[in-house]
Amino acid sequence: MTKRPRYGLYLLVIISVVISFFPIVWLILTSVKTTAGIYAWPPQYWPTPVTFENYWTIITQSPELLRYVLNSFIVGVGCTALTLVFGGLAGYALSRLNLKFAGFLMVGILAVSMFPPVSLLPSLFQNFLQLGLLNTYTGLILAHAGLFLPFTVWMLASYFATLPVEIEEAARMDGMGFLRIFLTIVLPLSWPGFVATGLIVFIFSWNEFPLALVLMTQNAMRTAPVGISLYPGEYAFPWETISTATVIAIIPILIITAIFQKQIVGGLTAGAGK
Amino acid sequence: MNAAYSLDHRRQMTGMSFVAPTVLLIAIILIYPIIQSVVLSFGQSSIDGSEPYEFVGFAHYAKLMGDERFWNSMAVTFTFTAISIPLELMLGIGLAVLLNESFRGKGIARLAVLFPWALPTALNTLMWRWMYNADYGLFNAVALQSGIVDRPINFLGDEWLAMFSMVVVAVWKTSSFMALIILAGLQSIPRDLYEAGRMDGMSRWQEFTQITLPLLKGPILVALIIRSMDALRTFELPFNLTDGGPVIATESLSLYAYKVIFDFIDFNFGAAIVVVQFLVIFAMSLAYIFVLRTRN
Amino acid sequence: MAIVSLQQIGKNYGSVTAVHEFDLTINDGEFLVLLGPSGCGKSTTLRMIAGLESISKGTLEIGGKVMNAVDPKDRGVAMVFQNYALYPHKSVFDNMAMALKLQRVPADEIQRRVGGVADMLGLTDFLERKPAALSGGQRQRVAIGRAIVRTPEVFLFDEPLSNLDAKLRVRMRMELQQLHERLGVTSIYVTHDQVEAMTLADRIVIMDSGVVAQVGTPREVYDDPATIFVAGFIGSPAMNFINIEPAGDYGWKSKDSSFAISDLNGFDTADLTSVTLGIRPEDIEVVARDSKTGDPWCFDADIRLAELLGADALLNLSVAGEDMLVRVGGVDHPERGHQIGIRIAPARLHAFNPDTGKALPRIQKH
Repeated sequence: MTKRPRYGLYLLVIISVVISFFPIVWLILTSVKTTAGIYAWPPQYWPTPVTFENYWTIITQSPELLRYVLNSFIVGVGCTALTLVFGGLAGYALSRLNLKFAGFLMVGILAVSMFPPVSLLPSLFQNFLQLGLLNTYTGLILAHAGLFLPFTVWMLASYFATLPVEIEEAARMDGMGFLRIFLTIVLPLSWPGFVATGLIVFIFSWNEFPLALVLMTQNAMRTAPVGISLYPGEYAFPWETISTATVIAIIPILIITAIFQKQIVGGLTAGAGK
Repeated sequence: MNAAYSLDHRRQMTGMSFVAPTVLLIAIILIYPIIQSVVLSFGQSSIDGSEPYEFVGFAHYAKLMGDERFWNSMAVTFTFTAISIPLELMLGIGLAVLLNESFRGKGIARLAVLFPWALPTALNTLMWRWMYNADYGLFNAVALQSGIVDRPINFLGDEWLAMFSMVVVAVWKTSSFMALIILAGLQSIPRDLYEAGRMDGMSRWQEFTQITLPLLKGPILVALIIRSMDALRTFELPFNLTDGGPVIATESLSLYAYKVIFDFIDFNFGAAIVVVQFLVIFAMSLAYIFVLRTRN
Repeated sequence: MAIVSLQQIGKNYGSVTAVHEFDLTINDGEFLVLLGPSGCGKSTTLRMIAGLESISKGTLEIGGKVMNAVDPKDRGVAMVFQNYALYPHKSVFDNMAMALKLQRVPADEIQRRVGGVADMLGLTDFLERKPAALSGGQRQRVAIGRAIVRTPEVFLFDEPLSNLDAKLRVRMRMELQQLHERLGVTSIYVTHDQVEAMTLADRIVIMDSGVVAQVGTPREVYDDPATIFVAGFIGSPAMNFINIEPAGDYGWKSKDSSFAISDLNGFDTADLTSVTLGIRPEDIEVVARDSKTGDPWCFDADIRLAELLGADALLNLSVAGEDMLVRVGGVDHPERGHQIGIRIAPARLHAFNPDTGKALPRIQKH
């Protein structure tokens, strides 16, 4: 194979990377500017001086912004745990136990996964209001779990299908019941699938907007995307605070994505291709 | 051991008990609310259940048909979808082909492309809104300083510019998702096909049009349908970028439904809107499932 | 140890029949091999005995007890899988001890039993290793050991050697033989490899498309195949088949060539209008050309291809326009292009009804 000059390739790659990154970079740069620097003319492209006063201000004066992040974290973890337990069991049964309605259930689950969240709002809001589930972690965790369970079931079911079935049969012969097989054999063998699915569901939950907006109406209970979006209130947008809070809210996602890039990409593309 | 039941029967029962929690939760969170929305859309009721439900037939739907703002939101939603999806597709294919090459720093490039997708749309939108800002935004700063314009551009204040700005954010965020799905498809194309193509004397462009594109039909179709459904229910993007403005120039169907329900507190009329939206998207999802089934 | 009895056992998947009903009794201590091509129903049958598949029709008894609805673990059977099916995240010891642990056998007894079996199989040094750190042969030993530890009444083997390379397969085959002699446990063994079947089995059950074609000792299925399928499946290279039909006074003549024989040496051909003749490649001998004129079992042949296998050679012959494969000694065998004479051993001839596939009975001569 002849080596072609690759400058063009690198140029295109660099352009793509810059375009993907620059809104995030600009946001981070904004967050370390002084308020004067943010609104200065001529504009400050590079923060002078670099200051963390905005972060300090949030910590000391706007703890609710940190509370949003905590709320997102609690809901994300709760929703991920619930979907992995429920979805793991269901995915195992649907892919391995020769259920009579397995095909129908899988297609049905796929179909409901595409319901637009806004369509659920009038009913969910009304029911949660009457059940006292508005502004509770339980409420939003359940709602998110319901929303992302279909994805989880499909992901895990297709992961289980890649495991050699003979190991589970050997476990049957050894005297295990299906629940024990799931817990002691399937779970340890499919942890990469659980990790990928769990990470994606966590990101989904962290990012989810309409349900979090409607089911958490008290300021103290809002998740990060909703809380930050609604933060400014009636007055002009305080960009120094917003940019800083946004950086804080996306850092967990940036870290997770960076560390588990392979698993997430693998999971996403497998899920979409199925 | 209960030998009274057959092995199969016991396995079915166990399996059903494994599936039950999932089915139950999905029924409560996804299926029942849709049914309830349909019921609400045919009646008049109060949010807290203090007044009895009164059946009004198709009254809300009749009102919807004559509601200009509803038709506007339909037009906005479909315009947004129709413009952003082809752009995402083209950029997605380009990115996928690019990322399928081997070069140094590929991991970082891939990660960079993944970030916009992984971050919350609501917060992405805020970042862009900050850059679009007419007074202090990055774009206007560059444009003014370099002398391209002499007055700041009001990106979000003009009907067409606002739509354009919204499309840019969507394309920026989701081209990477398209790229990832198409990339997975690319990587499943056997290398020796290209080697055979080279033996047959194909140029790079012919390789792309004769081998790559035809074999990517499936992944592209899947990505297109998933993204179309996403775009048709877009909510937080206009919510955070323009709040539907200027006036209602970027008010999507989801956003209008939300406003009717929670700003105008008209649950029943709002329910009629979401039912219509549901039917549109559900029709698409059935098309999606049909496509997947015929592919297998 | 136990007798396994299959009474009109059958398996359906919806409207598809995977195994047609059949009867079979496996004697105490017997080594029975289920043999057939893939998809013939042999594995399904084994899995029905194991309890991994439900039994659609009929009754399964092990040791006199009906087992149809009994859980696999309570059937007193142990199984060795083709892909070993070892728990990859558990040590060799834990793999072998799992069933005993689940039966709540005391720890010291587990130690003793696993230790004993590991000793017998030469696995003592590997007990703490994970399966991934073992060679293929060692893994298969662990899989066998796991079955032995349970002291089952019946061993089930599902193609246990087919993942091993050729050399190892031969060694493990012999080890299995010795093991069976030593333990004397009733064993049911599924394979598609006729050599394994012939060497291991007390009796072979040959299956074809869900139907039992023949049950018999290795000798019986080789010497007296009951159907064309069995005849073609057992023996390597495969039996030569020639379709012939009555040709008036001359005797029998091939449909599509000039091959002819004068009489069917005592087969009960009744009033069949066509017969499939079967001749094993090893039942044909090379003789001098024209050496025995008048012998109806001698033919002239052209050598179209000669393949040296080592000890043997295979000759691809054309006999009066009919293709025929002959196995001869590998030393100084005739070469391609030569013309030779052959003689078919009439006593070793097989004849089948082409419509039913069944072997034709020989007329008893007194």
